[in-house]
Amino acid sequence: MTKLLTSIKILGGVIALTGLVCVALTPFIGENVFEPLWAVEPLSYIGILLLVAGLGIATSVYVGLGFSQRGSGHGLNGRYSGPSWSETTLQYFQLFDHDLGRPLRRIAGKERELRAVMEAAPGVVDIGVKDLLDEIERQTPNFRLMMSNIQILIQLESPASENELQPVEPAEVVRRISDRYSAVASEAGKEITWWSEPAEFGLVYANTSAIEHIVTNLVDNAVRFAGTHVEVKLTMNPSHFFVRVWDDGPGIRQQYIQHLFDRGWTPEVVRREEKSSSGLGLFIARSLARKSGGDLTVESDDRADGDHHTAFLLSLPSNLGANSNGVH
Amino acid sequence: MARIKSGRKILIVDDESESAILRAVRRRLEEEGWEALVVQPEAGHSIGEEFEAAALWSIEEDRPDAVLLDVRFGEHRDDQFRGLNILGQVVERWPKLPILMFTQYTQGPDRETAVRGSLKWDAPVDFIDKLASPDEVVLRLRRLIGTSPESIPIGNKILVDVKTRLLYVGDGEDRAPVLDIQGMKFEIFRELAATWYRSPGELVPFSRLECYSDGEDPRASLRVRIREIKDAIGKAMNSRFGPSELILNVRDQGYRLVPPKS
Repeated sequence: MTKLLTSIKILGGVIALTGLVCVALTPFIGENVFEPLWAVEPLSYIGILLLVAGLGIATSVYVGLGFSQRGSGHGLNGRYSGPSWSETTLQYFQLFDHDLGRPLRRIAGKERELRAVMEAAPGVVDIGVKDLLDEIERQTPNFRLMMSNIQILIQLESPASENELQPVEPAEVVRRISDRYSAVASEAGKEITWWSEPAEFGLVYANTSAIEHIVTNLVDNAVRFAGTHVEVKLTMNPSHFFVRVWDDGPGIRQQYIQHLFDRGWTPEVVRREEKSSSGLGLFIARSLARKSGGDLTVESDDRADGDHHTAFLLSLPSNLGANSNGVH
Repeated sequence: MARIKSGRKILIVDDESESAILRAVRRRLEEEGWEALVVQPEAGHSIGEEFEAAALWSIEEDRPDAVLLDVRFGEHRDDQFRGLNILGQVVERWPKLPILMFTQYTQGPDRETAVRGSLKWDAPVDFIDKLASPDEVVLRLRRLIGTSPESIPIGNKILVDVKTRLLYVGDGEDRAPVLDIQGMKFEIFRELAATWYRSPGELVPFSRLECYSDGEDPRASLRVRIREIKDAIGKAMNSRFGPSELILNVRDQGYRLVPPKS
């Protein structure tokens, strides 16, 4: 929509400019092309008309865009927030992200060096040292996800944010996320297994960042709560593709499920305990899924004696027909 | 230009190549049997320009199998996205050369700019976070490079030799072939190992393995062969693998390799 309005604005500008050129050339063209003086006047009239029409189009689109943003451009809070606010916030955030990332990279680097030294010369190592190294490695994906969550949240808050479609291989996205979490899961004695049906899943047209972000949040949760196994399954029908993230954890209590996707909600909120996470991950994941024309749902069994598990199902349109020729 | 020689050649273009995080990545590349070439330009001009010229010269000269490329070179404003300039030039001159962008800009507008501005969607270019573990970097490079090696080590004790079609167990001079695993059984294990090499968590569906079994019920035949493989490797290692060890069966879906813990 924004692109269309921009194009109309440019068209208005071009018409106005043509009008201006006509007016400017009137005396010359009048002298060289048209002998009678009256012939000059129609050209200048046309020029003035084009100038007024062009400026009119450009101005009305500009004003209309402002109104439409005030009318419908609400952020997730229902408050109006202009694109400039969002862009500025994003720029500040990226600086902040860079500055925060640097010390963490140093810590992670030193931790990996120390681990290599310990592996090269095996001996008695204090259990606390090993715990510390494992904790740093465990917290690194958390940091990456937290930074990514904030960035996506800023983008979601922007009324000008668009759902950009690109050709994407969902299997590759799942593979990357599995790469990232496999080591962390393995350290905790858990296994991540993923597969797709059909095995050659192919391309869809979707927002790559959105898929990656949603599935990362789901896998992160699943690894945290799983007993021993996390399974990620990719399937499709003619119009949609689906990512099911399953874990054999204790399950979620039925009374909590309705609040699971609320902004800032964690089970600790109910228990009046200190929150162990921001409670934004699933909220952002569902918001992104719905913004992309899909949905995110959950199904869980928390019976201790039963087949307890939790399964999140992400469904997104594959946009194979409409957008394959015109990805924007 | 000074260069640190450290197999398959991976060219590292990063102004923080001596940082602990890059040293850990280089160590892991070397464990993989790959040679890490580090671009280190001589001091003089703008650091970004130096790196740009040195990186292009080094690709021309060394013909690496892949490039690990940073985005930001130093703190100068002109060099904030210098890596994207280098990326654009490399993609134009060597469109088949795999490039892994090692950066914190793995998401957001800058990544989108890079993807749209410099690349075709199927260009062998990928982005990975600087905080990614060295294992994750190696996995991504394995996939970008695309070809599997002639021998695939599974953990410390198992080696799949694709060239001789034999599976070895043990380490160093104690390494010996497991002669019970040949023919179809070797092919099943090779398929599982090749998938594990590219993507450790990926399941190999029954459909891809049933061609290595026979009889009226190929799935049952496959199950028997898998059990025989596990028994043979377990015997060679003086061990016994349980249902969720070495080869994991995911109900009604397929099998996945789980390397034994060393």
